[in-house]
Amino acid sequence: MPSTKVSMKVNGRAVSAEVDTRTLLVHYIREHLKLTGTHVGCDTTQCGACTVHVNGQRIKSCTIFAVQLEGAEVTTVEGLAKGKQLHPMQAAFSEHHGLQCGYCTPGMVMSAISIAERYKGKALTEDIVRHELEGNLCRCTGYHNIVKAVMAGAKAMGG
Amino acid sequence: MYVGQPIRRREDVRFLTGRGLFVDDVQMTQPIAHAAFLRSPHAHAKIRSIKTERARGLPGVLTVLTGADWVRQGHGEADGVWPVNDRSGKPARTVNRPFICVDNVVRCVGEIVAMVVAEDRHQALDACEAIEVDYEPLPANVVTAKALDAGTPLVHPKFGTNEVLETYHGNKAVVDEAFKKAHHITKLEVPTNRVTASPIEPRAYMGHYDPLNDRYTVWTTHQAPHIVRQYFTRSLHIPEHKLRVVAPDVGGGFGMKLYHYPEEPLVLWGAIETERPVKWTGTRSECLMGDTHARDHYTVGEMAFDKGGKILAMRFKTLAAFGAYESQWQASITNAYHFTMLSLAYDIPGIFTQVKGVYTNCTPVDAYRGAGRPETVYQVERLIENGAKEMGIDPFELRQKNAIPPEKIPYTTAIGITYDSGDPPELFRKMKKLCNYEALREEQKKLRAQGICMGIGICGFFDMAGAGPVKMMNDLGAKIGCYDVASVRVHPSGKITVFAGSHSHGQSHATTWTQIAADRLGIPIEDIELVEGDTDRVPFGIGTWGSRSLSTAGVAVAVAAGRVIEKAKKLAAHMLECAPSDLVIENGQFIVKGTDKKIAFAEVSNAAYHSGDRPKGLEIGLEETAFYDPTDCTYPSAVHLCVVIVDPETGHVKLRNYWSVDDVGRVINPMVFEGQVHGGCTQGIGQALMEECAYDPSSGQYLSGTFMDYAIPHATDIPMFGVESHVTLTPSNPLGAKGGGESGTIAAPACISNGVIDALYHFGIRQITQPMTPKKIWRAIQDAKAGR
Amino acid sequence: MYAFNYHRPASVAEAVKILKASSDGRCLAGGMSLIPTMKHRLSSSSDLIDLNGIKELSYIRREGDQLVIGALARHVEIADSAEVKKSIPALAALAGGVGDPQVRNRGTFCGSLCFADPAADCPAGLVGLNGTVITDKRRIAADQFFEGLYETALEKGEIVTGVSFPIPEKAGWAKFANLASRYAIVAVMVAKTGGTARVAVTGAKASVFRVAEMEAALAKNFSAAALDGIKVSSAGMNGDLHGDPDYRANLVSVMAKRAVQAS
Repeated sequence: MPSTKVSMKVNGRAVSAEVDTRTLLVHYIREHLKLTGTHVGCDTTQCGACTVHVNGQRIKSCTIFAVQLEGAEVTTVEGLAKGKQLHPMQAAFSEHHGLQCGYCTPGMVMSAISIAERYKGKALTEDIVRHELEGNLCRCTGYHNIVKAVMAGAKAMGG
Repeated sequence: MYVGQPIRRREDVRFLTGRGLFVDDVQMTQPIAHAAFLRSPHAHAKIRSIKTERARGLPGVLTVLTGADWVRQGHGEADGVWPVNDRSGKPARTVNRPFICVDNVVRCVGEIVAMVVAEDRHQALDACEAIEVDYEPLPANVVTAKALDAGTPLVHPKFGTNEVLETYHGNKAVVDEAFKKAHHITKLEVPTNRVTASPIEPRAYMGHYDPLNDRYTVWTTHQAPHIVRQYFTRSLHIPEHKLRVVAPDVGGGFGMKLYHYPEEPLVLWGAIETERPVKWTGTRSECLMGDTHARDHYTVGEMAFDKGGKILAMRFKTLAAFGAYESQWQASITNAYHFTMLSLAYDIPGIFTQVKGVYTNCTPVDAYRGAGRPETVYQVERLIENGAKEMGIDPFELRQKNAIPPEKIPYTTAIGITYDSGDPPELFRKMKKLCNYEALREEQKKLRAQGICMGIGICGFFDMAGAGPVKMMNDLGAKIGCYDVASVRVHPSGKITVFAGSHSHGQSHATTWTQIAADRLGIPIEDIELVEGDTDRVPFGIGTWGSRSLSTAGVAVAVAAGRVIEKAKKLAAHMLECAPSDLVIENGQFIVKGTDKKIAFAEVSNAAYHSGDRPKGLEIGLEETAFYDPTDCTYPSAVHLCVVIVDPETGHVKLRNYWSVDDVGRVINPMVFEGQVHGGCTQGIGQALMEECAYDPSSGQYLSGTFMDYAIPHATDIPMFGVESHVTLTPSNPLGAKGGGESGTIAAPACISNGVIDALYHFGIRQITQPMTPKKIWRAIQDAKAGR
Repeated sequence: MYAFNYHRPASVAEAVKILKASSDGRCLAGGMSLIPTMKHRLSSSSDLIDLNGIKELSYIRREGDQLVIGALARHVEIADSAEVKKSIPALAALAGGVGDPQVRNRGTFCGSLCFADPAADCPAGLVGLNGTVITDKRRIAADQFFEGLYETALEKGEIVTGVSFPIPEKAGWAKFANLASRYAIVAVMVAKTGGTARVAVTGAKASVFRVAEMEAALAKNFSAAALDGIKVSSAGMNGDLHGDPDYRANLVSVMAKRAVQAS
């Protein structure tokens, strides 16, 4: 079983491990680091439940190998709140009931923050938000309240 | 008052911060071993041999188990919670869904042939590939409409037929008479497509066995943990007192996570065999083929109208797919939920339906949000829509004309179900205003002149929710008691833990149940926590399904809390030297009416546990449990309306607007209720426009094996919703709540279909079966243009 | 997933050396197509050569009359690039519609070309815009690059380093996406350069193809109306759950017109 050593920063903490080369980033995060907020909902890079930020960009952690992350800075949903203080996007999801079962939620929130950052200073419309959510599936909410939450959260983030 | 307020959800923070605990997140001190399953690639095949030697020798492999091992060890099977009851008097032809193939014939793609337990998932999958199975493929039958045709391959040859059961309901003589004198008859083929719930969390199970203490634990993605626990008495013959079932956070269920799936006993079996915790987390591909599928009715219907558009009668013939085996709750659809609601929101004197359950070489069918009623509403509403058009009557007006007037409620339908409350004409009136109906019709005319195909879809219905009481559901075939359970435990400090037999997997019970309890107890919501989903902590429960938890478990919370207050009042009255009836409770204080004498709830609760000075005969402690059996089911009702724009060049449907007016009785939390409607509608929209568990009709191969082929709605497919309510209270429970979890999936398929047909009717199109995918719509337009 | 050796070379030369030395190696850029097939055990490689460490492959630039895009340029970078939007806005539109935002943050135009998925968008971009694939040892014209289902003209050990495009006078992109996968059921790139026109279609057949009759009509008159009445034969077209050959043939006509309208 080929393995490789990899070192990265996850939520600001330096981590390092010898991993089977087949280990996907999501499995590294969940099983080695025990950060189980990042979820897996499909096997074809579609549902987005595994969305994390790598070097400031949202990606699907089920479609990248952990060994590719040498030197990278990774942020997962666990890295957003400051102590008991929720990130403004997390607060907006709660305020607007943008989650039901909570399973797609971490990926949704990570995407939502990227959307807010990408459209900072620009008009963020319902249509844009829906297109920007193409890579995140939710089976509970019908997206209505997620769209509202993303727009409110983006505003709260200073967008 | 908390009830009726849009209280923010108390469960949100853990999900938003990644601190939820789903089955795949559970950590163990012992290393967790992984199970992988070898599944049949054939829809139907004989297994000549299975060779596992090579797999057993691979690195990391702990055990390889097959059906022969299952049989040798004497393990059992899971029979129906809702057993098949053939009302024509013929014996039902039941074959329970097996956990693992035990008779050397596989009857659907995905059926489990062997299990490997290994140190990690890669090793388990490597070993699965090393198992050699010699299959002899057999002809397969995967088309429901043809299941009973002569020459169709038999799924279970021992019966000599693919028919599972036949059942019929209604007043046939009235119907036959009405059709004889009808002014107009509309006929239509109205099949419903095979879909699957597809919650974003895949099914997952972890089993653990402690041989020293002879204790078993199962963590499961399940909606009803106590039901699972009882199932294990039959699958692995483990008695309830030895087994703890935990359903922690569950990422959506929608009815699909209600069964004792094969993988559930198998992982525990693996754990027993290896003395290691064993886990399986389904991949999406495994789930799309192994999760129960839903709907899949082939129905032909007729509706008879009088000259003015009044519906006189309707009759249907349905073939209801069971799949290759009978899943545990399947018959609740054919025998309870489907035919019962055929009258929808309309006063229809004659209804007759014949349903035949049929086996096909497909994944077993079972309940999915709506369970039977989406089919019902679709088959009736499509006939109403086409009937109205054929008679030149505005479809909205025709529905209003047939809506059950409030003065006729309680209304007993021709099927024999009695709607206890509701006001359909008011729902229609509210909808007409909400959507600005006349303006929409004007706009439609204008757009059509420009070549733009706009359609308006309408539907109205009554739902049967809140499964219970026990006797009524027993009479409809249920072997399980349909009630629910809650305990309210007041701690000495006056803080409270509520234990409920329901299970929240998105429904927000941690918020809504504590809203109910807080109001009954007169204490702040922050002082109450909810526990669900653990058979070692919760006394009992029937679980969450069928829009029933509020009107059963939610009411049980209210009843138990009421009992707690009655007892606490006795003690408080003793402490305040007054009569219990003199007391009121406000903001955590018992107050003697009309005086300033009062005592804190916490003082009373402390005394309940620690004081010897109490009324004679009053038991120590402050905890009450209620097993609540309602007096009737509940009958929520609704009218939904949508606007679609169809692109005739590509067949693409853009859903532009969707409105609903729902009567779900008392609403505990309007924010949560609206969320339920949004989500349900979106699933129904998916069923109407894109979702399909498809099989190749010749090879029987499953074609919808990943999210690359099974389409569920994305954010871009869905509009903002307009959700309104009209409340009439049900007399069947003290909260007056009816349940609103399924309205969307029940209404949307019919609503959207009617909209698409409305958009294309001028081409001569009368019906397009679901899912109305772009290719099918385009084909229908071509056929209509060519006069086919 | 099957086991593999992982390499992260810092230069193209080093990557080529490792690739040639491997028994059955494969390059990894964005991985958006490759990794899912590996997860399903539909693809196995002895070695994965991760190109993401080769910084010189990350570029988008104008070189004279050509727009040149490096092998590691991500879809999002192409979609957002001021240079692409100025030179070939249709290419920016194509890149902006690949997959979804997370996929675009990672996936590359060149990686998609190498994978040669019959429903991928990028092959139609390459062929419609008459681009040239640049490898470590040669340049391959668009029309010679694709050789069938998942097949390209690349030789064993050859690595794509970039792709260049001449600047068309006009180009347009239109895609009809599969509701499930968001890949193309049919998508069309049209382009006009001087008196010539190109129409490249993806999603409809085993591999991207051009429609000569449409190109001739558009060469005379580059307007949607010029395509009126031109029907493409459904022979050889894909038939699956999402569209039969007739439906796809219709979509070729519809999407070609919409692509011209978008230009």
